[in-house]
Amino acid sequence: MIPARVKPPATTSADPIEASPLALQPESLSAFLRAYGTLWSHGVVDQTTKEMARIRNARRIDCPICKAIRFAGARREGLTEELVDRIRDDWAERDLAPRHKAALRAVDAFHDMAGALDPAGRRELLANFSPAEIVELSAGIALFLGFSKIAVALGGLPDEIPVHEQPTPQVPAGR
Amino acid sequence: MTWLPESATGATPIERAFGLRPDLFAACRDFAALFWQKRLVDPTLLELCRMRVGQMVGTELPALCDAMRDARASVPAAKRADVGAWWNSAAFSDTERACLRFAEQFVLDPKGIGDNDAAAVVAALGDAGTVAFVEALAILDGFSRFARFLELGAES
Repeated sequence: MIPARVKPPATTSADPIEASPLALQPESLSAFLRAYGTLWSHGVVDQTTKEMARIRNARRIDCPICKAIRFAGARREGLTEELVDRIRDDWAERDLAPRHKAALRAVDAFHDMAGALDPAGRRELLANFSPAEIVELSAGIALFLGFSKIAVALGGLPDEIPVHEQPTPQVPAGR
Repeated sequence: MTWLPESATGATPIERAFGLRPDLFAACRDFAALFWQKRLVDPTLLELCRMRVGQMVGTELPALCDAMRDARASVPAAKRADVGAWWNSAAFSDTERACLRFAEQFVLDPKGIGDNDAAAVVAALGDAGTVAFVEALAILDGFSRFARFLELGAES
């Protein structure tokens, strides 16, 4: 376990975000929740594809909380743990839809090539996603990567957290 | 130049590409710009980190607001020239050194951030300031890679 780098706010809230160090910066937290809610609940890419990309990123970063979460919208669309289990390092050899493989290749390009994607990867994305979907997917990967790294960098998380479902992020009221 | 076959209207490559998802672009831009506009972190420090993260990723995050452009002007040319080898330069303060060291490890692997390196940032910025700094690094790292992924680096 990485030790907590900063003291979380003094609160009795049961809300995990309000009790986290992110609440020390309420304005940026609010802006992040608006962006994240827009990505998840006002997007053009299906929930399952985004969730597979998010989980692949979580496993690349090895972020305990990101690996443990499953968003309800992807579950409703049919995302199973059997499918999630195929998102490991050998995903390219697994039985996955071409759209999902294209998304996973994009995630790995963010990690392995600092975002550089080879021409075959671009063709694969363009064959499976509209340009607007590609923009949304890649912005999502940027947010997933950045915020998994925040969780790890700020520390204070247990090494293992049980898999659990959370509501799909929404744009908070009034934001 | 981006490989996307469509674009929205906009003055810069990132506006034309990200504009294909306008509500998401607006929300992400507002989130990112907040750190410069509200000075949640010293803008000069953010600019140094924007440059260094960009060097490591291969593409700098383009400016998303006037405050980001102003921050570029706040860094003297000599310091800009040294940021890629800041550890060899006397131009950087102790706080800048601590934050650049932390930023580099954040980009490479946040699990490798040492306790002493984290403590140096917290001592310089405080708890709330460290949270803002780490959030800003997440934006710089994630969206520099986004810009490289879609080839949006240079402003027109």
